[in-house]
Amino acid sequence: MDTSNPAVFVNAQLIPNFIGKRIRTVVQVNQFGGGIATAKSTDDSQLTIKGLPQVPIMNFIEVIGIAESSNSIDAEIWTDFGNTFDTNSFNQLCQLANGEFKGLFL
Amino acid sequence: MYSSSSQFDGNAAFSGGGFMPSQATQGTDPSLGFSKNRDAQSLLPLTVKQIYDAIQSSDDKANLIVDGVDVNNVTLIGRVCNKAGRVTDVTFVLDDGTGKIECNKWFQEAADSNEAESILDGMYARLHGHLKNFQGKRTLNVFYFRPVTDFNEVASHFIDCIHVHLYNSRIRSSVPNQQHVMNSTPITPTMGYQAKVIPPTNQFSDQHAIGQKGTENMVLDFLHLPANRSRNEGVRRDLIAQHLEISLDKLMLAIKNLIDEGAVYETIADHYKSIING
Repeated sequence: MDTSNPAVFVNAQLIPNFIGKRIRTVVQVNQFGGGIATAKSTDDSQLTIKGLPQVPIMNFIEVIGIAESSNSIDAEIWTDFGNTFDTNSFNQLCQLANGEFKGLFL
Repeated sequence: MYSSSSQFDGNAAFSGGGFMPSQATQGTDPSLGFSKNRDAQSLLPLTVKQIYDAIQSSDDKANLIVDGVDVNNVTLIGRVCNKAGRVTDVTFVLDDGTGKIECNKWFQEAADSNEAESILDGMYARLHGHLKNFQGKRTLNVFYFRPVTDFNEVASHFIDCIHVHLYNSRIRSSVPNQQHVMNSTPITPTMGYQAKVIPPTNQFSDQHAIGQKGTENMVLDFLHLPANRSRNEGVRRDLIAQHLEISLDKLMLAIKNLIDEGAVYETIADHYKSIING
């Protein structure tokens, strides 16, 4: 068992708390160019994601990586979550996982 | 208490006959004894972090305890990594984002080894398994493995973990109004939906939503009248508004909330019915 390197559930609003740390979030990719993807977070902010391969535009992608700044992520692992995803539930989960129930996650 | 359960539960009947635990626990808290007995066989949704933090029980069985409940079978969701297939079993590490846990799945039949080929590094999977705690090392003996295809299940699983944690920790807390919080993080008032999880205890929600809540209760009461219950098609919205003497807009807002909560549903166009109407 190992819990030393968790990837915290975050939305864009929570990223500033984890700069330089490992995070996981789900984004909807809007644009892709020059190895950098522009994507919308579950709380409707724009994020830039580095290190993503070409992914289907408008699909929901889960990104696990390092938060470089409050609006950019260096992706290590990504998973295509398809084109239907309940962003609202995920967004609320991010808040729960960083609030009252942090002990279950971190 | 145990005589009724003995008809369908051999374990409870046997232990009841031998040691009469019902008498022993009666003095402290009967509901606690019951929940413990039943939860011993349940499948708990957990995060790896919760398993890591689980307390070792003091009895000989080396059981783990989470939120005061014995943990045996658990269900987890995470990414598979470091898969290694062997002749008799397959081992892999499950990373659910909160931590990693070693898992293994033994092959019982030839079909199982085919199934093992479908386990791939990087895929999301739903596992059911038996938690082993041997010499301080916690591993999972998997007896059910399914790749996740609808990724809403990932968020849903973690919400499930929170719900079960809340349920188990509240049952055990002696003061129902006091929330049991495992970590030191204070309860921040930013979480509005907290009100939905624990409606009777949260005062904040009642204050700002009292008007709307009142309307919703009125609608429910009206739908629960025997005359309305018996209508298969439910009650027309104009009729509800007219009877409650509220505007259609206000009514529809209340109905939308009730539908979101799953308390009411639309039968045919503009007709609504409560779910407990049968």
